[in-house]
Amino acid sequence: MPAVSFEHIVKRYGAVTVLDDLNLAIEDGDFLVLLGPSGCGKTTLLNLLAGLLEVSDGRITIGDRDVTELDPKDRGLAMVFQSYALYPTKTVRGNLKFGLAASKLPSEEVERRIAWVAKMLQIEPLLDRKPAQLSGGQRQRVAIGRAIIKKVDVFLFDEPLSNLDAKLRTEMRLEIKKLHDELKSTVVYVTHDQIEAMTMATKIAVMDGGVIQQFGTPDEVYEHPANLFVAGFIGAPAMNMRSATLAVKAGKVEAVFKSGARLDVSDYPFQAPARDGLAVVIGMRPEHFTIGEAASGGTAQFTLPVLSAERTGSDATLYLTFEDEMLALRVAPDLAAGLRVGSTVPVQFQAGKANLFDAQTGRRI
Amino acid sequence: MSQVSVSERAAAAGEVPVTRAPYFVRKKKGITPRSIAVLVFLTICALFFCVPLYVVVVTSFKTMDQIREGAIFTLPHIWTLEAWDHAWNHACSGIKCDGLKVGFWNSVSILFPSLILSISLAMVTGFALALWNVRWAGGFLFLLFICAFVPFQIIMYPLIVMTTTTKIYGTLWAVAVIHAVLAMPVLTLIFRNYYKDIPTEIMSAAMMDSGSFWRIFFEIIVPMSGNILIVVLILQITSIWNDYLIGVTFGGLTGQPMTVNLANLITISTGTTNYAHNMAAALLTAIPPLVVYFLVGKLFVQGVTAGAIKG
Amino acid sequence: MRWSRIAPQLALTPALAITAVAFVGSIGWTIYLSFTRSRRLPEYGIDWSEWGRQYDRLFRDAGWEISLRNLIVLGLGSALAIVFGFILAAMIDKEKRGESFFRTVFLYPLAVSLIVTGAAWRWILNPTLGAQSFLRGLGWEVDFNWLAQGDTAMYAIILASVWQSAGFYMALMLAGLKGINTEIWSAAKLDGVPLWRVYLEIIIPMMKFTFITCAILLSLGVIKAYDVVVAMTNGGPGQSTWVPAYFTINALSAKSNLGYASAAAVMMLVITLVVFIPLVALTVWQQRKREAAR
Repeated sequence: MPAVSFEHIVKRYGAVTVLDDLNLAIEDGDFLVLLGPSGCGKTTLLNLLAGLLEVSDGRITIGDRDVTELDPKDRGLAMVFQSYALYPTKTVRGNLKFGLAASKLPSEEVERRIAWVAKMLQIEPLLDRKPAQLSGGQRQRVAIGRAIIKKVDVFLFDEPLSNLDAKLRTEMRLEIKKLHDELKSTVVYVTHDQIEAMTMATKIAVMDGGVIQQFGTPDEVYEHPANLFVAGFIGAPAMNMRSATLAVKAGKVEAVFKSGARLDVSDYPFQAPARDGLAVVIGMRPEHFTIGEAASGGTAQFTLPVLSAERTGSDATLYLTFEDEMLALRVAPDLAAGLRVGSTVPVQFQAGKANLFDAQTGRRI
Repeated sequence: MSQVSVSERAAAAGEVPVTRAPYFVRKKKGITPRSIAVLVFLTICALFFCVPLYVVVVTSFKTMDQIREGAIFTLPHIWTLEAWDHAWNHACSGIKCDGLKVGFWNSVSILFPSLILSISLAMVTGFALALWNVRWAGGFLFLLFICAFVPFQIIMYPLIVMTTTTKIYGTLWAVAVIHAVLAMPVLTLIFRNYYKDIPTEIMSAAMMDSGSFWRIFFEIIVPMSGNILIVVLILQITSIWNDYLIGVTFGGLTGQPMTVNLANLITISTGTTNYAHNMAAALLTAIPPLVVYFLVGKLFVQGVTAGAIKG
Repeated sequence: MRWSRIAPQLALTPALAITAVAFVGSIGWTIYLSFTRSRRLPEYGIDWSEWGRQYDRLFRDAGWEISLRNLIVLGLGSALAIVFGFILAAMIDKEKRGESFFRTVFLYPLAVSLIVTGAAWRWILNPTLGAQSFLRGLGWEVDFNWLAQGDTAMYAIILASVWQSAGFYMALMLAGLKGINTEIWSAAKLDGVPLWRVYLEIIIPMMKFTFITCAILLSLGVIKAYDVVVAMTNGGPGQSTWVPAYFTINALSAKSNLGYASAAAVMMLVITLVVFIPLVALTVWQQRKREAAR
């Protein structure tokens, strides 16, 4: 039985429909990340699950209970907010205690839980301080503590790391993941940061315009994006897209670029037989290019002029011009150092790594 | 390299600092003639504002003989507390001649219940309208806005009937309750606007943690209301203490606040008017809110402004 | 129905009840009474052939006419408080020195009851023992006996009102002035614009919102004026300082004519709305313009 399920969810604000017939099932123990750009509907979906917003139509179930009409406090959920939302006039202890305000636990149990949470999150020395006296990372922990203390099965996170600096973010990512493993709970996590999604999720739901574009594991979403949006959203630097046409002749399928260059995609796992003349978009990830002459067949060979090179110490991105547009490649930093702007470079691309999308619908072929 | 200058380091080392002669002698700015003119004008205006207070104070300490001399601005030859004593203990208001102390304690007795009633109701109502999803909240707020501006006279008679029917007419309770009723729209708007500024996520967290209207109100919202409470208190204390119309309409003979005592004293002249008594009485009535004013000046301004702009 | 929906609505019932009964109901009640012939006690039958009877009487009543005239006089005179307040605010804002001191002095009248204010000024205007005799003693032949004559009595009331409220408008203006970007002043200085022109052509137009707010508050205060009239003149000499609020209360308490008083009260409401609605509409329009400009 899924831990959380959304069935035919519709959400309208007056004349505007933000979510239309959205369906999603989350398994017990999953760490589901709702990933997408601002305005895609991920936070709306989270708030619907929390009960902070009401559905216009549809059903939400948690476990075997229909919670669509229940108040937030009755749903068996806990939530961590982007701005932590700690109660400013209460101490850390008071904040944690209030987390149990809706439960009718005896005071010894409450005290026991406060001690347990404080130990687990290492906030014991902070218990008598007020939020204003805490640092960003400490406030975050207290917010998480306020959620954990409820001992519920489902945790919701609303972009909790976006207010932290880069170093803290990495630390907290690991901590949240560790907590998930320890508590064996189900997590629904909203973010626009794909690195958070890729590193923490067991399942990712990529959203855009109120629609789930793809639902799958991080590997699936990365290796086999379902449409152009997912392909372009995941991966940094972004996947290179080029228009091409399919040429099917005697069992051999080739993708013909605008410039005339050809790529043999006969071994591509087409979902339906390839049609000759079909307009497609080829997606090529920057890390699937290599610099140098072709060693074997099955790769496409190009010789392209260098536009610029960006080095970030441990990484380097090389930008070449291909068909009057920029092509991004991942290269070793020392290699990038030796290349001059304007010089040409031989480049190969492994045909097996190509992603083909229907140029009209954007969907993966 | 630290930002310490050569002379500072020398001073630190115990050596005598060497001050260098300036390269160019610059004329000091000083006070411009315009500044002087402005300050003089402002001071004259300040005097204009202080004149009534000065006159009232000075007159209250004079003997009636000196007052009859007609020199209103001179200081008392003899400083006497006779007027003060008379005003406090023997001034006549209507039939009773027990002094303004009666009115003083009446005003105090009106103040407390009225404050408690009006502020608690306004806080709860403002909270409900600001942070909860009530479909008709917008319409109600608009209605409150209108009610805040209607003249008292249009609801005066019905309110008199209501207080008479509930048998509180003519007592302190009527004055207190009517003050609370009249203040409700303004105070609710003030609290509502204040609570609207509370970050939404705090309310969301509270809904997930507790979801209880009253628990969230008492444990989260009220503790966060300190700032606006002080401002509202000052506004209400001043407004209730200084009010005359409600007091005279609803107080009858036993529930007269101090302002009514004072008005009776100065308007009903039986025999010769003792101006010293009148001025002492006026001062006695003015002192409590003036004390509040001088103690919390800045907040006072906020209070009155908030009441005026309805938050 | 969710409890989270019910709870706040329950909590709102007392406020709703008060609004419905004490405000809406009472207004309706008074309006109804204004069409009746109620005298000391309410009569609820309306004679439909003469439903506007009280209003007819009202519009022909000399006392009401005086009240309306005085309302306008008081309004115009009290508007001086806004001008005065602005000048004080502009000076304090520019000068900066002694701001705290001057603000404290100019604002203290707000803390004092209008009865006290009226009493104080009445005393100062005493012809034989007050300011007039003092100034005459110095050799200035002034006539300060405003309260004794019908045509000057309102000036005394205006004087007391301005004294009371100028500080308040000054505070509002100061807040408005502080909201003006200092760069505007710098730009004007660089352009060499004379100061009075800066105020007139740049600053005051920028403070439209503040001025309108002051206008609204002033009008409401003027319509409500009652305490200060009681303390200074009790409507006298004769009826020369009657104002609508005084008229209405007099009709109820002294004349015991409920229907008549109700009609006067309804007219007071009408006057309030006539003044209030356009000014508020203006404020909202100004605010929308501001927001659009951002």
